[in-house]
Amino acid sequence: MGNPDKYWNSYLAGVAMGLVLLSAYLFVGKGLGASGPALRFVTVAAEAVAPGHVAATPPLAHLAEEPSPLANYFVFLGLGTLLGGFVAAYTSGRMKAGVSRGDTAPVGLRLALALGGGVLLGIGARLARGCASGQALTGGALMSAGSWAFMFAIFGGGYAAAYLVRRQWR
Amino acid sequence: MSPLFPFQLPAANPQVAMLAAVFVGFGFGFVLERAGFGNARKLAAQFYGSEMVMLKVMFTAIVTAILGTTVLAGLGLVDLRALGDTIASDTFLWPMILGGFLIGVGIIFSGYCPGTSIVGMASGKLDAVLAYGGVILGQVIWAEVETRGPIARFHNSGALGHVYLYDLVKVPPQALAAAIVLVAIGAFLFGEKVERMVTGAVPGAPAPARRWVFAGVGAFGAVGLATLILPAPGAARPVPAATIAAPDLARRALAEPWKLRILDVRPMADCAKERVPGSECTPLDTLKRLELADVSATRDLVVVSERGLAEVPADARAYRGRVLLLDKGFEGWREWALAPAPAPAPGAPEAEQQAWRLRAGVRSALTGVGAPPPPASAAGGGAPVKRKAGGGGCSG
Repeated sequence: MGNPDKYWNSYLAGVAMGLVLLSAYLFVGKGLGASGPALRFVTVAAEAVAPGHVAATPPLAHLAEEPSPLANYFVFLGLGTLLGGFVAAYTSGRMKAGVSRGDTAPVGLRLALALGGGVLLGIGARLARGCASGQALTGGALMSAGSWAFMFAIFGGGYAAAYLVRRQWR
Repeated sequence: MSPLFPFQLPAANPQVAMLAAVFVGFGFGFVLERAGFGNARKLAAQFYGSEMVMLKVMFTAIVTAILGTTVLAGLGLVDLRALGDTIASDTFLWPMILGGFLIGVGIIFSGYCPGTSIVGMASGKLDAVLAYGGVILGQVIWAEVETRGPIARFHNSGALGHVYLYDLVKVPPQALAAAIVLVAIGAFLFGEKVERMVTGAVPGAPAPARRWVFAGVGAFGAVGLATLILPAPGAARPVPAATIAAPDLARRALAEPWKLRILDVRPMADCAKERVPGSECTPLDTLKRLELADVSATRDLVVVSERGLAEVPADARAYRGRVLLLDKGFEGWREWALAPAPAPAPGAPEAEQQAWRLRAGVRSALTGVGAPPPPASAAGGGAPVKRKAGGGGCSG
């Protein structure tokens, strides 16, 4: 079992991540992404419960029209991400049920902010046609101008709001 | 679809494609975890200056992938623009900036971005489960409203199509890549300085890994620059004068118009009078202005002349994609599409009947002369119109 406090050097991790991205480009002809599968699962679930509503909501209907919405590159990529994270966390000894937060931060506050922040991530990912991995990494490394604007905006938003929520990380 | 790049795995086999996706995802998840992103505090620390892991990992990853693609492109092994057009999404400037801002706020609130929350879940973190639940909820909320009224207008505003930084600054991608390497190293040194200011640590000897990475990206940046002095791929290549026959052009123009660009090089008056549907009137002397060397090479260029050309016009030779000459030129088209065609005898082979149906259908659409009802067939008319695959990214 590894040492839970020992992480890879950030620059080396970055090179490894870049090589993963490059192999996705060259061998599969696609990029990375993480938010896509979520919407696909919801669409399939909603299609079973309220097909009329899905048909009336164009972005969902568009997904539901596919012969099998879950047989998609990004769904399998997400499964692989879960698996890779699982193996890495287990072998490094960091697999531990809990809530990541500052030492003195209230758990309730932390969980509420996690959910609320997640909602913002979801809205932002739809607006920007991708999240930090699908738009910033994937498009950024192809030198897409929109991805670079997006990336600067991420840092802008993070620094602008950091002061508001500093309590949860202390 | 034929592979776009020499290395691409056969997409026709779904098992191979899905297995490749799992492998790529495994690498992604593994590296994210080892970099520390399974823990929300590690990501959040970026925005308090104590540990700039996000900046270092993300920017190094981008620089690495940029160097990989630009060096391969410099060696003529991949088409950088085609890669970008296939994988990256179109630019929608304003929603991307607002979306980025919201994601930045979302990251500091939740401590995750969608990718790292998957890894957080895999590490057993309850907050990561809630964050990913929020990602689902947020997407559903936005999907409900994004096609309505003013929201839809904003959602699709600033649509610029595919725009690349190397087009904006007008330098070769390899030169831009080398500049990005320098900017990245500058940003890393600045980031480390901020870390020391915030944590009060004294500067020690940098990790050897860092030195290797900096040296490595610098070396690859130089290799990319060196490829610029190689003869441009394709410059010396003889331009193959491939032709396309009128029926094939009609079929493709109907089934996949987005994969074709039809240039009618006849004199303007002739082209204005009648032309192949979907074509642009670009007489020979105006071809230069299209700057075909600089436009995306993802579509096949079809050149329509009066009677067919023996070779590709000089100004179209710079196009990096496929150039096809319409066989027998517009004369050939007129003969096939505009002249009445005798119906095949009953009992003629199915292929012949289908060819006739296409011909009669195109003729009646273009001339307004009603075609006799096509003979009944189980196979139906023309090819089904396929929908274009969406852009890359998380929304895929």
